[in-house]
Amino acid sequence: MSGKKTTLGLRPCTWVYLFLMTFTFVTFLVGQMGLSGLTVSLLILLLALIKGELVGYYFMGLGRVKGLWHWPVFIWLFIPGILIGTAFYLAS
Amino acid sequence: MTASTQAIPAGTDPRRPPGDLAIWIFILAELGVFAVFFAAYAFTRMNHVELFNQYQQHLDRRAALINTLALITSSYFVVRAVAAIREDNPRHCVNWLLAAVSMGLVFVVVKLGEYHHHFVVEGVNLSTNTFYMFYISLTFFHFMHVIMGMVILSAVAVMAKKGKYSAREHTGVETGASYWHMVDLVWLILFPLVYVMR
Amino acid sequence: MTYKSQSVAKLYFIAAIALFVAQILFGLIMGLQYVMGDFLFPAIPFNVARMVHTNALIVWLLMAFMGAAYYLVPEEAETELFAPWLATLMFWIFLLAAGATVAGYLLLSYSDLADLTMNEMLPTMGREFLEQPTITKLGIVVVALAFLFNIGMTILKGRKTVVNLVLLLGLTGLAVFFLFSFYNPTNVVLDKFYWWWVVHLWVEGVWELILGAILAFVLIKVTGVDREVIEKWLYIIIAMTLITGIIGTGHHYYWIGTPEYWQWWGSIFSAMEPIPFFMMTVFAFNMVNKRRREHPNKAATLWALGTAVMAFLGAGVWGFLHTLSPVNYYTHGTQITAAHGHMAFYGAYVMISLTIISYAMPLLRGRNAANPAKSQTLEMWSFWLMTISIVFITLFLTGAGILQVYLQRVAENPQPFMAVQDQIGLFYWLREIAGLIFLVGLVLYIASFFVGQDEPEPAVAD
Repeated sequence: MSGKKTTLGLRPCTWVYLFLMTFTFVTFLVGQMGLSGLTVSLLILLLALIKGELVGYYFMGLGRVKGLWHWPVFIWLFIPGILIGTAFYLAS
Repeated sequence: MTASTQAIPAGTDPRRPPGDLAIWIFILAELGVFAVFFAAYAFTRMNHVELFNQYQQHLDRRAALINTLALITSSYFVVRAVAAIREDNPRHCVNWLLAAVSMGLVFVVVKLGEYHHHFVVEGVNLSTNTFYMFYISLTFFHFMHVIMGMVILSAVAVMAKKGKYSAREHTGVETGASYWHMVDLVWLILFPLVYVMR
Repeated sequence: MTYKSQSVAKLYFIAAIALFVAQILFGLIMGLQYVMGDFLFPAIPFNVARMVHTNALIVWLLMAFMGAAYYLVPEEAETELFAPWLATLMFWIFLLAAGATVAGYLLLSYSDLADLTMNEMLPTMGREFLEQPTITKLGIVVVALAFLFNIGMTILKGRKTVVNLVLLLGLTGLAVFFLFSFYNPTNVVLDKFYWWWVVHLWVEGVWELILGAILAFVLIKVTGVDREVIEKWLYIIIAMTLITGIIGTGHHYYWIGTPEYWQWWGSIFSAMEPIPFFMMTVFAFNMVNKRRREHPNKAATLWALGTAVMAFLGAGVWGFLHTLSPVNYYTHGTQITAAHGHMAFYGAYVMISLTIISYAMPLLRGRNAANPAKSQTLEMWSFWLMTISIVFITLFLTGAGILQVYLQRVAENPQPFMAVQDQIGLFYWLREIAGLIFLVGLVLYIASFFVGQDEPEPAVAD
């Protein structure tokens, strides 16, 4: 959902969009600079999970849903996120 | 824009996600498969760290960046399409949907370029090594879903153009939109996991 | 029954049950041969008994599916069957071909049967479950085409419901994939690769569509729940079946000489194959809970719910136990496989066949809705006897399998095949006893068709 216009006359979803684009660039730059290591990887992963939750909450409209259906995307990000993080931790 | 942009159409259950419940069963199933694949990738990497780090450098990160930006943009366009139909504006809805499909097309073209480089120029295939097996499997399955999503959005656009949707009844638009967001969601994890994290 | 032509289903159902009995008798023979190797040798050697057991199973299930289609399609399409005479003719052709084939297995050496039936012209014999002579296979194709034509024309001239269309899709898929039994590559890897295009894409593919459609039909009838609700569930279930099962074929491609990526693709997709079965269980119980009527055929409702649960356990859970490639590496081709195979086939396809027969036979025999209480009680006894004995058969074979895997493959000093078979003999004896109880259940099942014939049926409460 987009909702009423807020700051600077932009809808909330537009703000989310700008955030997503910006932090995609950040992820890309991290890759280009060849940054590696557990901390960097986990931060990138966390960023990806946050981006995913924003898509679920705002773009998919799950933020406005009450009850069980509010959660699946969050759980999908949380559990695999933990698993991936663990695997990278164990690999380092 | 009036306050009605926020109004949920009459008869919608606030406990239900937008669109047909059936598509959400699919969405969960698809997310499930990809989650298992992602976890398999991460855990397999544990035993092949050098291999994964080495061949990750062979991937085209710029292409992946363009693709990520394209998918996020197309998702945003889909959000605007749903907002448009909620404001009873099928014409704008169609335009936003077509814009979203074009961004999907950008993804497809870039992806095909990537594949041409790997399959044709480099001569890589599923059996080359474990990293490439995962890279090809993950991106190819996702690619198939992008195509499917584009087909769905196009179908919805055609129906919208024919006037089948309105502010009161636009479940089809929300259904297609939800599927497309899922495609975007999967890529948002795939991109950092396969192309960046090392 | 609403349409006269539905009566052709009766022939198919009767033949199905008769062949079911033959299947079980030969199963018991083999069960004994596991522990008394010379039993009935050389008259009926193990490999011959096995061919009869497996082929009888497949033929009787096909008979049941055809009967189910001939019964439910006219009712769903709201029109008489296109050509009842064709259905009757095909029945006799199919039955005679099956009978001749089994006679061939029993009376001739397999090589003599191959020579007699001119297998060398188009060799298709010699593969598991597809041992039939080429001419029998051609006969099956003819019967299948006539059947599809008949059902297709009926649907074409009548109402096209979701149940009808899903059933037709499943049956067409069954016929199409059977054609791969004619493709017999010389390369052993390819031979096995394509063999699964018949077997896997049948039982973990198009047969699930048939199962779903029949289950949906019976639930619509006995619960009275809105058709749209049931149809929507059916769509989701078959979509999950195809999404997981098609690439899930890869779980048969781990060790036959195909590339390594199949271990990943097969494991990941087939791990999700239990999902449609889980959904079927939730679906069936949900529909019965939300029922709008108390249908007098309690036995059919019991079979329907039982099918969902046992299919989930046998196909879903037991399948999952050995579907991941690291596990399958050790369990491949052991009694674990047999344990899964028996409960899966019984839970899914035997039970759905018995479900539709339970629902339709009373109507085909002139009842209003159901058999009298006496018959239904006996039938429900048979349900519990057969189902519980299959569970025990499965548990015993699972025990045998675990011990076999350990002794033959995992232990520090692995032992040869026959040495291990000697040590798991107790499980085989227990399995045989459970099998005998299964036969008792089957006998009671047949008896339930004959008792209480003069009694009135239970009152219909609406």
